[in-house]
Amino acid sequence: MFRINLIKLLLFAAFLFSGINAQAKRPLRILDKSGEAIPHALIQIGGKKPIPVNAAGEIILTNLLAEDQVIIFALGYETKMLSGQECTGKNQIILEEKESALEEVVVSATRTDRSVSDLPMPVTVISQEKIQQTGGIRLSEVLLEQTGLQISSDHGAGLQMQGLDSDYILILLDGEPLIGRTAGTFDLDRISVSNIERIEILRGPSSAIYGSEAMAGVINIITKSGTQAKTANLGFRHRSFNSWNPFVELGIQQKDWQVDVLYDYFQTDGFDLTPTVIGQTQNPYQGQTAQVKVRGQLSDKFELSLFGRGYIENARGEMEVNSNSPEASRISMDNSLRDWNFNPTLRFKPNENWLFSLRGMSSWYATLADSRYESSGESFDFQDFNQFYHRTELQTDYQANEKNLFTLGLGQITETVEATRYEGKNRFDAGYLFLQHQWNPGKKVNVVSGLRADLHSEYGGRISPKISAQYKFSKAFSAQASIGSGFKAPDFRQLLLNFNNAAAGYYVFGSLLAEDGIANLQSQGLVSQVLIRPESLGELKAETSWAINGGFRWNPDPRLKIQVNAFRNQIGNLIETAPIARLTSGQNVFSYFNVQSVITQGVEIDLGYTFRENIRFSAGYAFLDTRDLDALEQIDGGQVFKRNEQNITSLVTRSDYGGLFNRSRHSGNLKISYQEYHTGINFSLRGIYRGRFGFGDLNGNLILDDDSEYADGWMSMNFTASKQFNNGIFLELGGTNLLNTSTPNQPNNPGRMLFAGIQVPLFNK
Amino acid sequence: MKTTLKTLLIPVLTIALFSCNDAKETEPIVPLEAILVEDLAAPNDVINRATGQVIETRPFQHFSLEQNQIVSESEDWDMAFKGTTIRVNSDKGVSAAIVTGIFDQIDVVPASATFAQDTASEFAIPTGGGKGWYNYNPAANTITPIPGRVLLVKTSAGNYTKIEILSYYKGNPPAASIDPFTTPSAHYTFRYILQPDGTQKF
Repeated sequence: MFRINLIKLLLFAAFLFSGINAQAKRPLRILDKSGEAIPHALIQIGGKKPIPVNAAGEIILTNLLAEDQVIIFALGYETKMLSGQECTGKNQIILEEKESALEEVVVSATRTDRSVSDLPMPVTVISQEKIQQTGGIRLSEVLLEQTGLQISSDHGAGLQMQGLDSDYILILLDGEPLIGRTAGTFDLDRISVSNIERIEILRGPSSAIYGSEAMAGVINIITKSGTQAKTANLGFRHRSFNSWNPFVELGIQQKDWQVDVLYDYFQTDGFDLTPTVIGQTQNPYQGQTAQVKVRGQLSDKFELSLFGRGYIENARGEMEVNSNSPEASRISMDNSLRDWNFNPTLRFKPNENWLFSLRGMSSWYATLADSRYESSGESFDFQDFNQFYHRTELQTDYQANEKNLFTLGLGQITETVEATRYEGKNRFDAGYLFLQHQWNPGKKVNVVSGLRADLHSEYGGRISPKISAQYKFSKAFSAQASIGSGFKAPDFRQLLLNFNNAAAGYYVFGSLLAEDGIANLQSQGLVSQVLIRPESLGELKAETSWAINGGFRWNPDPRLKIQVNAFRNQIGNLIETAPIARLTSGQNVFSYFNVQSVITQGVEIDLGYTFRENIRFSAGYAFLDTRDLDALEQIDGGQVFKRNEQNITSLVTRSDYGGLFNRSRHSGNLKISYQEYHTGINFSLRGIYRGRFGFGDLNGNLILDDDSEYADGWMSMNFTASKQFNNGIFLELGGTNLLNTSTPNQPNNPGRMLFAGIQVPLFNK
Repeated sequence: MKTTLKTLLIPVLTIALFSCNDAKETEPIVPLEAILVEDLAAPNDVINRATGQVIETRPFQHFSLEQNQIVSESEDWDMAFKGTTIRVNSDKGVSAAIVTGIFDQIDVVPASATFAQDTASEFAIPTGGGKGWYNYNPAANTITPIPGRVLLVKTSAGNYTKIEILSYYKGNPPAASIDPFTTPSAHYTFRYILQPDGTQKF
């Protein structure tokens, strides 16, 4: 109705104006890049009602004042803002296609630029616009709002994808892996989002490019590269819990060279969900990120890029311990983290068909944890950890013909670790090779197949084949399927840990040290019984998986987009700890074994609908089913019992079994974004739902089998309002978890958080 | 340490009473009573956190199942506790077995139960998470008795007992409210039934 009225009004106006101004004014045409008219474009002048163009994409502007703000927008195109003055001289304006409409380009899946619609793997892209809508400052806050992703709190904010933990997810920054994990978790709070252009999410072990860790999938964070001669942006954000985030972005482009610099500072007081207990749930910390990216054309065939990044984090905290003494002692903790990356890349493109990329990547990651008794200042515990990781890789892409693109990669990895908990300096060496074939036999079919071979100094070799295929039934409907094998190499901890918990009196040995460790303890007369002879443990094998992903992308209507992906991961050789010897003190010696088998399976559905040019709606739903096959076997064997609070014991049955801890069977999100034309304010309202999940064992059998072991499902209502002014200044205001729901079972959810931010472009020329 | 008696098997008692009406007078079945032992404190050795060395050796707490009380080492003790370690009095012929099942439903010593004594290298009740009587929950850092694990102990007097350990923490708190750093540990709460007639029935 509104539309019809508008059109009538416009026709009337057009008639009127054409009568008056036909001689004086030429029509202004709104075109796309190819010169085609955009007949559904709208033009808004000085905050008045928007006026549509005619079928030829034309409009005649009258009474246009030089200082008027003219906004031109159209569904599927980037909105353009001009001043009245800029408009008067023009007879045509070209709108850029929106990234989403224009085929989002993804590099993570194949290491070559491919548009999402051409990829047979399950891939999603989070655009900068969507990142901005979340109001997030750290990466975890952005990923939290995506379908099928969860953030769990285990030695940091760890990502969970397809029901698998952070250990099995490879995190890339501009295509290069980030290192530094605590107990397997990569803490996503280490990554600031202030200069992220887009985030690519590749699910499942469907790409042949990546080796260990990419078992559940890959997150590739692509940082911004300026396109202007000179860019300088200042940003400043403040939010609850006394959190501050100032940052500055600089960019210079001269001839064939481009330099981008970022400095980002973040500090927060943290929060406390259990005020009666000494020590906060999240300790106060400061994090500083500095990043420099240099890219240049050495000649018309050689391109060089250098990437450097540093991150420093300092945290302070307190806890209370009570061991063997009637009075509890307070401990103060001082933790710091340093993370440096340097990645030079040289690209050589001798001709159209060949591309050689030589990449070097070096990372240093160090943590230090110093805990002392507050009363005496004496040391309670001191841990340091220093890791170095270097990778050299040569990738060759050969476009044999229009239908065949071959990629060959050869790489070498050196990794060293020196830490309190490790004996001496430890070194791993690995080599790998990957082959990938992208094949487009016809317009409807495309296939990506590949093979990755890894050879490791400590755990041997591993070959991971993969194949993905897509069939385009029509322009609106395409189906994808992929099968792949993934793996995760035993890490330093599992192989080389040499840890003695002095306080509790137990030892943990990596599998390589178990034999010597036990022998050493035996010679000291400390071992009372060897439970499993360490030499019989065998070599610790890599954890392996087979994964199937299958789904479709369907656009039944240009306004409606549906994407569905179902998956099943079967993981074997999962590494667990178990006691291998008993000490005379009654304590145990632990080591690592390949034991468990786990299955995760589910389906993820994303739906997007554009009501009008300025109102968009999206919904996501994820179903997840997980099971530990060993636990199921024990249950079936009648070996597992549970005890209630009245101390009544009963047998656990299959129907009691709830799968793995910390997995929500149901989760989803609903998002509405609305652009208000008059004020130019963008509103975004999101509801993020996480279904109930098991948080821990309460009845002693270590498996999830009782209602009391579940945390309730919860909904986080998040809201952001933002506005980009004509002069480029960007303002945002909003809040997350507005209903203020939080439980101690979700230590990464602080409750309601409000934020405000401003970004000021100093110059963009 | 408090010791209380709890009467169980009331239905059995009722049935026994009714059965008295039978023409043939039989001996009334006296139901065995489960004994609840609460907060038996058996602290572990004191260990220097920095060096891992034992600063102060604490004694085992010796317990007589027959007398339902802590006794001295020289007396006829059946079990001894220290930290998570449980020993049996091998010198007096005490032996133990671990079986899986529901405490109340174990009415006879199963044929599969293998009784063992403590030896120099091996304990009848193995220590270690998941091995003997407890699980160690690495996520919560708590020690919790494994549900469905029942200890069978043949006492120094040659009587069979079945034992269910209920808690390792003072006051037998629900697992959810245990704070591994502040809740006093090494406080055993357990219940047991002793068959005084020397048979294997409970």
